[in-house]
Amino acid sequence: MLSKSSRPKSTRFQSVRPAPCGVAMGSASAVLLYTNLLLRGLAATAVSAIGMTALLPGRALAADTEPGVAAADAVAELAAQIDRILIEETGGESVERAAQAGDETFLRRVWLDVTGVPPAPEAVISFTKDRDPDKRAKVVQSLLDDPRYGQNWARYWRDVILYRRTEERALLVSASLEAFLKEQLNANAPWDQIVSSFITAEGDVRENGATGLIMAQGGQPEDVVSEISRIFLGIQIQCAQCHDHPTDRWKREQFHELAAFFPRVAVRPDRTGPQRSFLVTVNDRPFAPRGNNNNRFVGSPEHYMPDLDDPAARGTLMTPAFFVSGAALEVGSPDALRRWTLATAVTSKENPWFAKALANRLWAELVGEGFYEPVDDLGPDRTASAPRTLEHLAKAFSDSDYNIKQLMRVIMATDAYQQASRVRRGAEESPFLANCSQRLRGDQLYDALASLLGIPDQVGLGGPGRGPYGMGGGPRALFNATFGFDPSERKDELAGSIPQALAMMNSPLIAAGASARRGSRLGRLLSEIPDNEQLVVELYLRALSRQPSEAEIRTCLRYVKEVGDRNEAFEDILWSLINSAEFLHRK
Amino acid sequence: MSSCRPSSSASDNDWLRHEAFVRVDRRTVIDRRHFLRAVGGGAAALSWSQALSLQAAALKQRNRACILLWMQGGPSQFETFDPKPGHENGGPTKAISTSAPGVEISENLPRTAQAMKHICLLRSLTSKEGSHPRATFLMHTGYLPTSSVKHPTLGALVTHQIADREFELPSFVRIGQGRAGGGASAGGGFLGVEFDPFSVASAQRPPDNVQPATTEARFRRRLKLLGRLQDEYASSGGRQEVADHEKLYGKASKMVLSPKTGAFDLSKEPEKVRAAYGDSPFGAGCLLARRLVETGVTFVEVNLGNWDTHLDNFARTKELCGQMDQPYAQLLTDLEDRGLLESTLVVWMGEFGRTPRINPRGGRDHYPRAFCAALAGGGVQGGQAIGRTDAAGASIDDRPIGVADLFRTICHGLKVNADQENMSGIGRPIKVVDGGETVREVFGA
Repeated sequence: MLSKSSRPKSTRFQSVRPAPCGVAMGSASAVLLYTNLLLRGLAATAVSAIGMTALLPGRALAADTEPGVAAADAVAELAAQIDRILIEETGGESVERAAQAGDETFLRRVWLDVTGVPPAPEAVISFTKDRDPDKRAKVVQSLLDDPRYGQNWARYWRDVILYRRTEERALLVSASLEAFLKEQLNANAPWDQIVSSFITAEGDVRENGATGLIMAQGGQPEDVVSEISRIFLGIQIQCAQCHDHPTDRWKREQFHELAAFFPRVAVRPDRTGPQRSFLVTVNDRPFAPRGNNNNRFVGSPEHYMPDLDDPAARGTLMTPAFFVSGAALEVGSPDALRRWTLATAVTSKENPWFAKALANRLWAELVGEGFYEPVDDLGPDRTASAPRTLEHLAKAFSDSDYNIKQLMRVIMATDAYQQASRVRRGAEESPFLANCSQRLRGDQLYDALASLLGIPDQVGLGGPGRGPYGMGGGPRALFNATFGFDPSERKDELAGSIPQALAMMNSPLIAAGASARRGSRLGRLLSEIPDNEQLVVELYLRALSRQPSEAEIRTCLRYVKEVGDRNEAFEDILWSLINSAEFLHRK
Repeated sequence: MSSCRPSSSASDNDWLRHEAFVRVDRRTVIDRRHFLRAVGGGAAALSWSQALSLQAAALKQRNRACILLWMQGGPSQFETFDPKPGHENGGPTKAISTSAPGVEISENLPRTAQAMKHICLLRSLTSKEGSHPRATFLMHTGYLPTSSVKHPTLGALVTHQIADREFELPSFVRIGQGRAGGGASAGGGFLGVEFDPFSVASAQRPPDNVQPATTEARFRRRLKLLGRLQDEYASSGGRQEVADHEKLYGKASKMVLSPKTGAFDLSKEPEKVRAAYGDSPFGAGCLLARRLVETGVTFVEVNLGNWDTHLDNFARTKELCGQMDQPYAQLLTDLEDRGLLESTLVVWMGEFGRTPRINPRGGRDHYPRAFCAALAGGGVQGGQAIGRTDAAGASIDDRPIGVADLFRTICHGLKVNADQENMSGIGRPIKVVDGGETVREVFGA
């Protein structure tokens, strides 16, 4: 266990402000929403009844004074508190914990975790040589300011949302969803604002990426609210869709009251533009025109809970109500009021699930195991593996006005994060005694290969592709189709597949990139570095972001001798590094 | 739904028979492997077709296989297997007689009509799911989609129970790109990626990445070097990851080096045989399915899409039937000629049927209330039609068959225990099929 005194202490104050545009967007979008509500002729009484006028200045004030933004020492202090509580909760000081990870391991870990790409050899060397005791906190901060941070996590959330799609054509929202998230995350827009955008989104799915969550579920109210609850609250309320669950607290009626926030929203195909697309539309007319072909293209005025004994009947008219806080609206309320009310209730600081769900998820992604597993199933009747630690982390996140970058800084400053990794614990062992190896997501692996082999990044998902909707083109998308996985899955249940192994071993794209021919990356290194040992070191630094061990150098040099042909031997060494388990994981 | 085990004595006997079968069969599988290895040793002396006929002899006694012909989009029952000539709902589609006395099908399927003696039609399938993704999921897994339990698809459920785990090729292969290939109904679900299908985008070219990028000798040399370079990670927290990785690479490299991967290469098939299946992606898919089953693959799914005929139903369904008719009939004939039909269940189905009413655009919309599937091989008694819709094709007059009944019937044909419970990700035991009853008439009972 790393003692407190050896933790890199902050030596100077560092004022860390979210990018100004993020703040501006925060208030701008709230105002826009408000204007939108007024334009729709919302009764003033309804507005005051839900306390909207009281809330708006609050957000504006928060934006001006930035009360939630912590300096470096405050981050370190929070991390120390988290570690203290965690140790208390997981067996105390006497339990043997993993030592702090070495510099090389730490650096590859933070690069992959924050930016999604491994560090270049120069970064590895300068970091290991750096004597600044604060270097770990500093590298985390600088990587969070790198635009690749937003790119990496945008892809993560894109997968969270799209892997559970029930509408296959939702893949065409991929590019705009990624762009929307990248912009928001890099600007460090507060989490409540991002989530509100998803809940209240409207418009062309190719243009407004915030429509992604609604589009993924084809605009079906039951599915949309299930996903809002699962992703943003960690509550699997969809279990109550068909029946009252015997062990969970919430009832079928409450599920359908939640769905009643969304009946007026629908997704409809749009073929008017140059490219086919979909529109997330709102219908506030009293009588909705009938949809055709069983497709729900137009929203209906109200939501009805189906009658289980008579599925053909209309069912029971539901009043919109939020099962956590009880926030409710009248039947007949316009869509803008419904979704604004839901967004406000979901993201409210009075709603404990909201901060906890993200704190749990990010902790799981970074430390390798969640307080709750799977990360999207927090309750109400599940038990966290270290409940007070999670409470503390979630409260800090809530107190920071849902500052995502700060939450990441706090987690990444903890000993729990910085520990070396060990084999995933058995059910009877204490949690969080070590970090855990993580399988790289499809995009991380693609980027690792692309930077190692010098493969240019071409069109991503949603770029020029096949079919009428132009989905699924480009090498990255093809790669993700084989290597991607749903990030909400339990990490201990993720496994490699035969097609993945075949692609790594035999794919022509990788084989070409790893060949020694003139003009390739390896070809250039072979001619620039005549010394075999130096070349082995170079390849290890590039592929695994670390120096090879003595034994590894010996094995490689012996291999070069055995094979005789230098080019062939180094092609084989590079092939082996790419195909190693270490390359596929972050330690 | 409520009890775990069927209570009737007939079912209990069934259960015992199933156990006995598996035990006998396991031995058969082992014998076959030894046999094939012996054959493989002298492979140079044998032609491909000689080797295959030897394999076929050994395979006759083996475990069951299944070919699922998946018709994505929801084929119209009126224009395929339940025509209603003379009724306004029937449209212009005529019925023709078949090789099965008394069973008439649509004129769009003349070749299938000739093969009708192998086919048992189910004309009274019924479900409630009228949206493509949900119905596709239901007809692939037997369950409705939820985001909390990832139900395994049929190919995964079947291979999980009856496939030989040591077989060099993937036991579950999916051919062609359909909606079933993406989204939630894709694969192994909570059984794990091990039971995901091995996807072949097009039967007309070899699957991606199966050929080594170098010579075979160098490929083996590389594998050895890789083995020597994994220790460092294994000793620094990656022991489990390295062990899993080595297991996976062992399996994948065995496939790369196996002579059986030649089964994916249709050019090894005589021109005459290829011509008999027709020069189309679906024809090639059916031929590949036969080759794979012949080699020992347990479950092959072949996709044919675009049945969603909201517009211009009659011309479009006719065209689709044209794509399907010859390969389907040829597949059944070919399997029979090779002695494989008895052990291979061939299932033809889509996610739902289409509306009796013809819409103003000459199309038919989604209709899950009454639709068709077709079964052949695997002990199915061909030449019959089970269930009956009314004259208007709107409702079921006789013997409604639910999705669980259909799944149970498929399981019966494959000697799969439908009552076996698998553990879901959230620790809930889930039966292969929840409820339902085997449609015994299918097997002539």
